[in-house]
Amino acid sequence: MNNTLLIISREYLTRVKKKSFIILTLVVPILFAALMVVPVLLATKGREHVNVMVVDDNEIYINNFVENDKTSFSYRSGDIEQIKKEALAGDYDVVLYFPRSSQKVNANMYYNEEPSMYLRSELESQINNMFFDHVLQDTFNIDLDRYKTIKDLARSQITMIQIDENGGEKESMAEMNKTIGMICGFVIYFFIFLFAGQVLRGVLEEKNNRIVEVLISSVKPIELLLGKIIGIALVGLTQFLIWIVFTLVILTGVQFAMPDKFMEMSGVNTEQVMESVKDSQMVEAVNNSKLATEALGEENIFAEISNYFPISFTEMILCFLFFFLTGYLVYSALFAAVGSAADNETDSNQLTMPITMPLLLTIVMVMPIADNPNGKLAFWLSMIPLTSPVAMLTRLPSGVPLWELLLSMVLMVLFFIFVVWFAAKVYRTGILMYGKKVSWKEIWKWVRYE
Amino acid sequence: MNIIEVQNVTKKYSNHLALDNISLAIQKGVVYGLLGPNGAGKTTLIRILNQITAPDSGTVLFNGNPISRRDIEKIGYLPEERGLYKKMKVGEEAMYLAQLKGLSKQEALERLKYWFIKFEIQSWWNKKVEELSKGMQQKLQFITTVVHRPDFLILDEPFSGLDPINTNLIRQELLELKKQGTTIIISTHNMASVEEICDEICLINKAHKILEGNLAEIKQRFKENVYSLTLNGECAIPAFPDKFSVMETSSAVNQHHYVVKVLDGGSANQLLQFVMEYGNVMSFNEVLPSMNDIFIQQVEKYNEELGINN
Repeated sequence: MNNTLLIISREYLTRVKKKSFIILTLVVPILFAALMVVPVLLATKGREHVNVMVVDDNEIYINNFVENDKTSFSYRSGDIEQIKKEALAGDYDVVLYFPRSSQKVNANMYYNEEPSMYLRSELESQINNMFFDHVLQDTFNIDLDRYKTIKDLARSQITMIQIDENGGEKESMAEMNKTIGMICGFVIYFFIFLFAGQVLRGVLEEKNNRIVEVLISSVKPIELLLGKIIGIALVGLTQFLIWIVFTLVILTGVQFAMPDKFMEMSGVNTEQVMESVKDSQMVEAVNNSKLATEALGEENIFAEISNYFPISFTEMILCFLFFFLTGYLVYSALFAAVGSAADNETDSNQLTMPITMPLLLTIVMVMPIADNPNGKLAFWLSMIPLTSPVAMLTRLPSGVPLWELLLSMVLMVLFFIFVVWFAAKVYRTGILMYGKKVSWKEIWKWVRYE
Repeated sequence: MNIIEVQNVTKKYSNHLALDNISLAIQKGVVYGLLGPNGAGKTTLIRILNQITAPDSGTVLFNGNPISRRDIEKIGYLPEERGLYKKMKVGEEAMYLAQLKGLSKQEALERLKYWFIKFEIQSWWNKKVEELSKGMQQKLQFITTVVHRPDFLILDEPFSGLDPINTNLIRQELLELKKQGTTIIISTHNMASVEEICDEICLINKAHKILEGNLAEIKQRFKENVYSLTLNGECAIPAFPDKFSVMETSSAVNQHHYVVKVLDGGSANQLLQFVMEYGNVMSFNEVLPSMNDIFIQQVEKYNEELGINN
């Protein structure tokens, strides 16, 4: 036991002291925080007041543009060349010109300094609305006020309510659950490979160094194997912890430094995005999330959000840790076995193929799983131990029956015990084999050997 | 008292026999040479002594009891393929390996200090292993092999890759350890070093033990009544009687050197009497076969008996 502790501490300390570890650990939270902060800053900045001069030869839009605190409109008619010169030399930032034509929605925009994307999309959407009204009135003779009343009445909204085993009801947000599920699936996939890969390289390093012979004359191969796997697992957990704490610290820091900008964070952000996004589906999605944020209010966001999930945050984090750890343990033990059997990384790639295929397959399947989290595919993939970490994490936010979750966990643990037994046998033989290209058939022989 | 007794050990790998019913005993305090051509089974035997692999049948006794994990702290092992973590610092790595052998942190530090001062390498402590030359790494590896003061040292080709100065340094250290009572087993192809430091040897070929015993005694056993003599005289000896066969002659001014084999029916005294008539005998020695000759001769003989042509 003492030996295993020594090995764990060496594996842990040499990795944690590495420059690459320190840099990655510090940079990721900064990137993370930047991802959250920068869009808000960009959205609030770059929106200065704009004076728009409208010249409409078709006389549809005159006096119809809606002003707001960032945009004001003036209207003139006459020779565009002259107006253009005067307006841009004067107080106006842009001149919007509708030439006389049958295509009454087309316009030119003149400017000295390029206006923001937002202005352009805002103008376009205003023009579309006005043109729509204009056509209703002039071509179809429809009364605008009546049309708007009818339109307001016909606003459907479907509330998603999930019923759990006990008959309790919960409003759910399928879209958000799906997205969160997919993100969780990808994240767990990434981390399993990142850290299990380190185990593989560690085993190969010891074998290529030939230090392994000295080591196993002092300790049992199983101690060396477990020490390495546990040491690297601790490196991973340390990194997680630092990332979470740092991201929170940075975000809180920024929030303190610029509280005003973050008060409007959710609102402004979605509005801006909506204006610039034309794709109707996207707008819908954003609409949903906007509705959600509006519904939440400001006080207890976390508590409120958790109301919308079939599973609590704590449960989610616990499940994430469980499946990350067991998934990592299973894959790292398998990788260690492979690493011990191979002489170099190229050889090992060939051997890891059959192991990593199931996980790769699951990643390809993440979308279908998220779309139908309780379908057959999702069910089976979340039961098979090689695929269950990713599949189960993808399903979790949408709610998984308790028995399925427990069964999946039990299978995972059983499989882990089997894999460690298997890996220990292969590892014991493999680390002393040199210069031999090993096949899976050969490895199976080692397992039965003795 | 034997520190190690190997009893009827057999080890088979999937397609070949590595050790076939090998038995041998190593007395406390001797330097024991484990010899044999490549692929003879030496490394397998060493791995069994280190408990890296287990024999298929047979037992190994350590101090009279079946060898167990507890004995690991009393064994030091220097494998043929040297290896260290390249990215670790010299001091950290030495501490790690010493602690794995059961030393406490404090003990490890003290003993490493002793060795680092002895080898005058204190300045390496904070260097990375990869910055050291190959010879320097060998020194470090030697220290990590002996730092826990093992009763039993297993060295696989300890002198390979060392320059003459470091070879000498390591040899001195080995003799010093022997004086302190350490039993040392050396596996090597370097016959010169075997003759210099080994007390006993064991020759393994094709998974079998073909020769074992005290080095001096073995040399006696394989001697072929060959004598080397130097004569101071005016002229060379024109002819030797039939019972003496001349193997080598060389002459300098008034100095004549002969290597003569005494055949059946002859004796060393007769040879001496015969040559005395031709001048003053300056030297007269029995020529014992070198370990190198014995090695080659025995291995070839064994292979011939098996009907194997190399």
